[in-house]
Amino acid sequence: MTASKKTGGIRLAADIGGTFTDLAAFDPTSGKLLFGKTLSTPDKLINGIADGVSKAGTSFPDAELFLHGSTIAINTMLERTGARTALLITEGFRDIYEIGRVNRPDSYNLFFGKHEPLVERALRFEIQERLFAEGGVYKPLDEDQLRSTCARLQEEKVEAAAILLLHCYANPAHEIRVREIVEEELPGVFVSTSHELSQEYREFERCSTVVANAYIGPKVKGYIGEIDERIRDDGFDGSFLVVQSTGGLYDGEQAQRQCVRMLESGPAAGVIGTQALCDALGMKNAIAFDMGGTTAKAGVIHEGEALTTGSALIGGYERALPVQIAMMDIFEVGTGGGSIARVSEEGGLRVGPQSAGAQPGPACYGQGGEDPTVTDANVVLGRLSPDRFLGGEINLDVDAAAAAIDRKIGEPLGMETADAAQGILRIAVTAMSHAVKAVTTERGLDAGDFAMVAYGGAGPLHACNIAREMGIRQVIIPRSPGHFSAFGMLFSDLRYDYVRSRFVRLADADFDDLEATLSELEAEGLAEIEKVSTPPERVVISRAADMRYVGQEHSVTVDLSSDLFDKQDRAGIKERFDAVHDLRYGTCAPQERSEIVSLRVTVSGMLKKPNIEEIEGGDESPAAEAHRGKRDVRFGDQSHAADTWDRTQLIAGNRIAGPALIEEHASTTVIHPGDTATVDKLGNLVVSVEGVAS
Amino acid sequence: MTDIEYRTDPVVTEIVRNGVIAITEEMKSNLMRTAYNMIIYEALDFTVGLFTARGETISIGLGLPMFIRGMAETIKAKLEHFGTENIRPGDILLTNDAYITGSHLNHLTFSMPIFDEEKLIGFACCMAHWPDIGGTLDGITTDIYSEGLQIPIVKYQREGVVNEEIVDIIKANVRLPDRAMGDLRAQITAITTGERRYLELVGRYGKQQVADSLADIMDQSERAARARTLSIPDGVYEAESYMDDDGVSISNRIPIRVRVTVEGDEMTVDLTDVAEQVRGFYNSGITTGHACSQVAFKCITSPTDYPINDGSFRNLKAIVPPGRVISAVKPAPMRWWMTFPMTIVDTVFKALTPAIPDRTIAGHHADLVIGMLNGVNPRTNEFYIAFIGPTGGGWGAKQSEDGISATVCINDGDTHNSPAEQLEAKYPLLIENYALREDSGGAGEFRGGLGCENTVQARADLMLNAQVERMHCKPWGLNGGLDAEGNSVVLRAEGEWKEDYPNAKLLTARIKEGDAFAVRSGGGGGFGDPYSRIAEMVAQDVRQGYVSVESAKRDYGVVCDAAGNLDSSATKKLRST
Repeated sequence: MTASKKTGGIRLAADIGGTFTDLAAFDPTSGKLLFGKTLSTPDKLINGIADGVSKAGTSFPDAELFLHGSTIAINTMLERTGARTALLITEGFRDIYEIGRVNRPDSYNLFFGKHEPLVERALRFEIQERLFAEGGVYKPLDEDQLRSTCARLQEEKVEAAAILLLHCYANPAHEIRVREIVEEELPGVFVSTSHELSQEYREFERCSTVVANAYIGPKVKGYIGEIDERIRDDGFDGSFLVVQSTGGLYDGEQAQRQCVRMLESGPAAGVIGTQALCDALGMKNAIAFDMGGTTAKAGVIHEGEALTTGSALIGGYERALPVQIAMMDIFEVGTGGGSIARVSEEGGLRVGPQSAGAQPGPACYGQGGEDPTVTDANVVLGRLSPDRFLGGEINLDVDAAAAAIDRKIGEPLGMETADAAQGILRIAVTAMSHAVKAVTTERGLDAGDFAMVAYGGAGPLHACNIAREMGIRQVIIPRSPGHFSAFGMLFSDLRYDYVRSRFVRLADADFDDLEATLSELEAEGLAEIEKVSTPPERVVISRAADMRYVGQEHSVTVDLSSDLFDKQDRAGIKERFDAVHDLRYGTCAPQERSEIVSLRVTVSGMLKKPNIEEIEGGDESPAAEAHRGKRDVRFGDQSHAADTWDRTQLIAGNRIAGPALIEEHASTTVIHPGDTATVDKLGNLVVSVEGVAS
Repeated sequence: MTDIEYRTDPVVTEIVRNGVIAITEEMKSNLMRTAYNMIIYEALDFTVGLFTARGETISIGLGLPMFIRGMAETIKAKLEHFGTENIRPGDILLTNDAYITGSHLNHLTFSMPIFDEEKLIGFACCMAHWPDIGGTLDGITTDIYSEGLQIPIVKYQREGVVNEEIVDIIKANVRLPDRAMGDLRAQITAITTGERRYLELVGRYGKQQVADSLADIMDQSERAARARTLSIPDGVYEAESYMDDDGVSISNRIPIRVRVTVEGDEMTVDLTDVAEQVRGFYNSGITTGHACSQVAFKCITSPTDYPINDGSFRNLKAIVPPGRVISAVKPAPMRWWMTFPMTIVDTVFKALTPAIPDRTIAGHHADLVIGMLNGVNPRTNEFYIAFIGPTGGGWGAKQSEDGISATVCINDGDTHNSPAEQLEAKYPLLIENYALREDSGGAGEFRGGLGCENTVQARADLMLNAQVERMHCKPWGLNGGLDAEGNSVVLRAEGEWKEDYPNAKLLTARIKEGDAFAVRSGGGGGFGDPYSRIAEMVAQDVRQGYVSVESAKRDYGVVCDAAGNLDSSATKKLRST
């Protein structure tokens, strides 16, 4: 949402999570980065933003851009607090949303469950119309029947309506007309059509996407509107942009209609932050690793680009609701600082996925938690200073942590306390390594070629352990790792993603026809960018096609760069497809025919980026006042006397040899024996990992 | 301290446990995403796994539950056939012998021996369903020879060199050789992935420590299975059920009788009184007889424990004499091997209900409910083989939960249906509906899940063959719960529906352009007396259209209107009579 075209002002980014609201600000005149962190205010989220802005020492009237990511969309969906929603769907298909894909992953569990629709069956209505797969009309739209259905919706007092018609990607005319009539008949109802969100085949997944959008729509729309109003009242007259699940930005106006695009804005922004660090450091490849209290997430930057995917499952796999829109490709495992360790009834040592959460929290919080967690293991091993956790706000109870580990793990398994703690840590680390493998090794990428950027409260604590496990040689801990998503938002660009299913064999493809579709999608993106008041420095368009071998189902995405596409170089495109297939799956079939399934276009409006400020420099030895003494820390089988350092007192050029702990407000970085951390000129801790896993 | 003895560090054991689960997951996703046929890539009709050098199951990826034994028995047969000493690094072993896998010829089973230097330390294995392996297309079969190409145990690859003659024989015998070769490549990708990752695990933790960890994991699984078996009261529990027919002797019901004995922490499943092998293609091999017992046993004793491994079954004994319908001998036809075993598993649950009513489930639709199609696609002029389904049907209710609707049968696990938009783009079909069937779930204090109807119109002439069972022998209710609707298949010719078929086996139906067929899956049986169901829940079911106003009144004694407004006094009156 935009007002005047203003340039040169401060750019603000606010990331609202469940617990904290993080604010990052960049002042282009001074080149300074400012941060503010406040507790989220659940009943009035906007208050947290205003507090954060003043904590960061800036103000709305000075700002040019307000960038925002929030958990409101995903929480509304997961907590089921959305609008009373109806579904309007092609005749004969009212139940596909409930039927889903009929799979039963929990295969031996007679008490299995499946996804629960966001719309009850009584509010799913069939519309008389039908298209063929090719887009032709089999049965025309019965407008009278539609209008009488609208009357039913009115009786049922629905607040939102989702529209899904079969094959709308081939011909959206019916969906467009249904939308017009519903808006006419039911003013004030939030209306969403599937083709506006996804023009890709698979009716259940697209249906789930449009229903999710309608369901969260009224609430998210109100929320964005309220923020807009409030920041304008506070004197803001720049552009209000929202972060999407791709990490790209879109206008607040569009975010009020296409709410489902912002589901995973926070995690995506962390990957964008990683990409910004890569740019600043001249790196091409990096793993973005984010660990918090309940989960660990991994994303990847490959050849300078953040890898994205075309769909995701929201909620656990067994009961997930699919969302078929572009998203950052992030893999998540249920391991975090709060993950509980236990000995199962049959005698196995397990860590997670159950979490102690914030209440009662780990045993060491002293809030009555009796189960040992990953955080307790860290405390017992000396990796966390009991009196400096969260800047000393919580005093950690080492004895309580040790007692919980003894009682639940050490005694049943006949292990010493420290060995049991080390065991919990090792299991957690290998579980998180699976997330890193999922985004690298399993995509045909060698993790050893990547640096790992670690953030989130618990990321720096475990990063070097994971690096050892994966053969990663460099770990980077950014400044303020607990604010990293807000930092990342400052580096986002405007981004509009489009996809349209087009089934055609490469050999038979009419390139003029493909060109027409691609141009049409691009024009839509350019028009959106035109609406945003902050002009991008330049516009970048990328084209791609989802391709597969004839007869295959799953496709891979192949870049259609102009050097190949403009020359209609079928052989070149085929070769590139073979190479992508080979990289991803370790096999390809150059002699086989291929086909295009969907065309993809991404239109990006590149915004001017902050230049990350350089910090004060000095020599290799840190200042004496940065030293906080020594602690006993256990690495492998041995205890080491490790130096502990205050990160805020370190300056560029300082080198710290492991074993060491580097502490800051919300996290601690553990440097293992043999490793060395250097503070670079941007204030990052760059750890070279020399040792091998122990 | 527990009295459990550990061979090795429990920490490493847990890391290895997570490791083997991750390996089989990756094998699964690589196969799924590179395969060429919808049965693999959409239906996920395949199973991957890691096995010890002796063929014991270490971990099976989530695939077909009923194939829980198929790969292990195949590896054991391959070891016996060649002798361990004649299996070399770089070999890939292949067979589709239905009497070894226990299933049908479409299941091509590839195994790759894993060597640590010169020592055989395990196998990576992959079974996947090929849509065509030759043989007759339509109609019933009465021996294995008419079901397609039989590949005995062979080395598809010998020390890294592919035996092209075997490839040529396969290509000459299947109708869609390009697809078959695509699937073959995908399977090889899966097993080489398994081999590579397993060697990484062994490289990281050492051969002996991994072997010890796996032994500890299997012991833990055994301990869990024994503890949970011990919680079942001792006794001999029996139940019987029936199948519609074998497709040859129409309407000649086929008995399934099971006897389950629980004694302390051991269970015996005796399938001696299951019907003898039949003339039509509903037989399966002895491997599947054992699989039936294991699937039922795992559902009761360790449903959510992973990895799936042989330790979980050490306290289970299955008695499966040869010559039964689930232990058929050559040349019995096996093409629809999976159908009868599902009902056997349900019958085991039925038998155990008096002992553990809180852990069992009423009968489910127990069939894939699939329509197989073939014809020539006018858009490409190419011959195609396609299928509609698995449609997903109702599951049984439990003592304290309603049954789940529209979900694949117990033969299948993470198996998916095909999107209508995909089917219509690929084949000359128009899907007219895909809908829940009102009143198809069995009434009960807890209601059975609903089945589905999938109506398909031909846009060009095609052949349909549907082999669906359990039309007459409906999914049963338990403890006073009512039976559900059964499965069926019906045809529409020139606008007229024909529904009065003697069974749901339409094995050679020609569907003309504009005509249609519908496959209908049954529901799940109810659990407990329907009159005990909370009246508001019945009224809510009526509002949602899961239960009709008539059924609410007739079966539940609940009076309400179609909008679900409950007439409490009329209900009270009706329920007290």
